Amino acid sequence: MTFINYVAREINCKIVYYGPGLGGKTTNLQYVYQITSPENKGKLISLATETERTLFFDFLPIDLGQIRGFRTRFHLYTVPGQVFYDSSRKLILKGVDGVVFVADSQEERLDANLESLANLAQNLKEQGFDISCIPYVLQLNKRDLPSAMPVESLQQQLLVKGEPVFEAVAPRGVGVLDTLKAVARQVLVELRKSA
Amino acid sequence: MSSNNFNLREQDYQRIGAILGRMHRELRAELVLLISRSGQTIAMSGSAGSIDCTSLASLAAANLAATDGLANIVGEREFSVLLHQGRQRSLFISDLLKKFSLVLVFDATASLGLVRYKCKRTATLLEDVIRSFQQRMEKAGSMPDYPDFSDDELEELLGRIDP
Repeated sequence: MTFINYVAREINCKIVYYGPGLGGKTTNLQYVYQITSPENKGKLISLATETERTLFFDFLPIDLGQIRGFRTRFHLYTVPGQVFYDSSRKLILKGVDGVVFVADSQEERLDANLESLANLAQNLKEQGFDISCIPYVLQLNKRDLPSAMPVESLQQQLLVKGEPVFEAVAPRGVGVLDTLKAVARQVLVELRKSA
Repeated sequence: MSSNNFNLREQDYQRIGAILGRMHRELRAELVLLISRSGQTIAMSGSAGSIDCTSLASLAAANLAATDGLANIVGEREFSVLLHQGRQRSLFISDLLKKFSLVLVFDATASLGLVRYKCKRTATLLEDVIRSFQQRMEKAGSMPDYPDFSDDELEELLGRIDP
């Protein structure tokens, strides 16, 4: 639910990073937090277990500045990737404007990627969204690992609708900002279309 | 996506502000917020001071959503109200039509009965406003002063992501 405040002249959008456990969703947000200047970001909130696995979500608000006099803010969320936190994932998708699927490129995680992707489609449907219509970007993370599958093979398995695909190494920031830009672009273009 | 968008106009903002302001004064609350269920602050009354309102709105929405999940598990349709009591400050969160929430930060010594009563009354008033602007949005269709930006303006904005 994009929220446009005509009085304060603000646009507020919600982007959710989805994907299998330990795929790098939180690392994406941590990198965005690190490189964003203090005046353009809020606190990075992580609701995590004692072993630093995401329990509920991570949250990072960022401010991109003005467009046509409207201040544009994005609220970035991650979901917990572990299978048994499905209830939490559904809650985080409430009111989502765009989704980034962070896939783990390692061959041994292919099944986890596929399971998480099916889970995303189902949970979006339950929230009244269609994965083929919502702004959506695929990120192939962990490209630096030796067991990373070829990009073509991953695309064959994970591509939903010809969405933009980015190769990433999240801890080093490779592909992280391109991914964010791509999903933000889609969200804002959708917003413009609805005018 | 567009059908889910929410556009706040001057007249809505004034009405909501007046309702929140009255509650803020009557309860001598520190802060009163109207937030969306997706965690965005829509309007507020009071001084945020050291409180990070963006984080507060996000966590309050998540808290209420998690409580809905708990309600379903135990066979309730909803737990529409949440109260967190602290030593100095307490927090009251109330659902509004499943799309919005009222969040109140108040002195922990305040009467809980009074807080509940005023919140219930305020929730009813806010729900009336929300219903009226939802109906108006359904009728109005597109907004006349929508931020219709060019591709170049969009790319300039996105360029700020990459410092």
